[in-house]
Amino acid sequence: MTKVLNHHPTPEMLVEFSAGTLDTATSICVASHLHFCKCCRDEVARLDEVGSQLMAISSPETIDDALFDKVMVKIDQPQPVAEAAPAPKTGISGFPVHVNKLIHNASKTPVWKRLSSSMEEAKLFTGQNKFEVALHKICAGGVTPKHDHRGLEYTVVLKGSFSDESSVYTEGDFIIRQPGDVHQPMGAKNGECICLSVQESPIKLTSFLGFFLNPWLKVKPA
Amino acid sequence: MEKVRATVDKKPQSAPKVAFFKSTEKRDDKWSTLLVEVGESQDRRAFAELFAHFAPLLKSFAQASRQDGWFPGLAEDLVQEVMIKVWQKAGGYNPQKASATTWIYTVARNCRIDMLRRKCNTQHLPLENEDFWHEPDEETPVSLLRQKRTEDHVKQSLGQLPREQNEILRKVYLEGKSHAEASQELDLPLGTVKSRVRLGLQKLQILVAPEFREELLND
Repeated sequence: MTKVLNHHPTPEMLVEFSAGTLDTATSICVASHLHFCKCCRDEVARLDEVGSQLMAISSPETIDDALFDKVMVKIDQPQPVAEAAPAPKTGISGFPVHVNKLIHNASKTPVWKRLSSSMEEAKLFTGQNKFEVALHKICAGGVTPKHDHRGLEYTVVLKGSFSDESSVYTEGDFIIRQPGDVHQPMGAKNGECICLSVQESPIKLTSFLGFFLNPWLKVKPA
Repeated sequence: MEKVRATVDKKPQSAPKVAFFKSTEKRDDKWSTLLVEVGESQDRRAFAELFAHFAPLLKSFAQASRQDGWFPGLAEDLVQEVMIKVWQKAGGYNPQKASATTWIYTVARNCRIDMLRRKCNTQHLPLENEDFWHEPDEETPVSLLRQKRTEDHVKQSLGQLPREQNEILRKVYLEGKSHAEASQELDLPLGTVKSRVRLGLQKLQILVAPEFREELLND
């Protein structure tokens, strides 16, 4: 967990994550990266100090005494059971807690759907409508079709590694793809690779086959 | 209680340099001590003091929000929700890692997001914002010391930032605006907003890791 990663979220993403203004799907990715990346965790802890100090020096508002009494009554009441559901015991070992929670909520274990001979996908429900959030699994040595991106796509490697024309990505790496970024991911030879990815729009296959398939590619934010 | 707060505020903001070396990095400000007491022995008197200090600040934080779906009536709900969480979770507070102010701020930030998400969403949300902050950290004395230094530095330097950098940081952290929203509101290019945020943070000695320098270039 202390290894140094090469691919991180942008500083703006960390700022927005710390300030709580980053959208849910992107936050899921950033938090997944933080699970693996100590240097970004420290950065976020430093960023939290900014919000904390801004709050500390803001001019205090008057509080009605009744509010304190209300709080005291509430803390004396037995806690509703719903408070903080325990982290699921199932899930994939080594995965961030929140990802396992999403998997658990959806179906206890990921429901993999085959996309091609080398790739499977398990969609996740996250309660937002901007990005499609899913797990992608590339089998050992699997080659995926070369593609472009029609919208933003963030990927975090959760297990194993994959590579494309520009780099090798290992556990925790955070990859940002935009329209115009054409690549062909390939799974590492030594084992399967699982990534979390959020997509704004479907990918665009650049091969001859894409001419037929592209109109059918859709994303369903959930 | 007002009196107590006044005396605390008068305390010098930073410890003398010597203390920096022999310090055990434990937060020993009044609020952190009180929070530990709440956590260890459900001390109601300590909680009342924390409430008297933080509830007005939390309300101020809540009222600063200019997020879509947020309205002033939610401010007291937020204060209530946060203070109840403070009571319930105080046992997990570690004064070595963060000051009470920072710890309570993070609770408030997470609550504010969750309240907004609940308001905007009729479906059951599968995650709460605090789920994103679950990673236990293997802190070393050095990393704790660094965190403490950041805290002190931010405290000292925040007031000295140029007005426009201060304004943008307040927009992002207190009003809860994304960079894109801030750029629209201030009628500034997104790049200008980003660089103001970065300049401000760099003056606070945040965003300094070399790997981010590279990221900055690539952006």
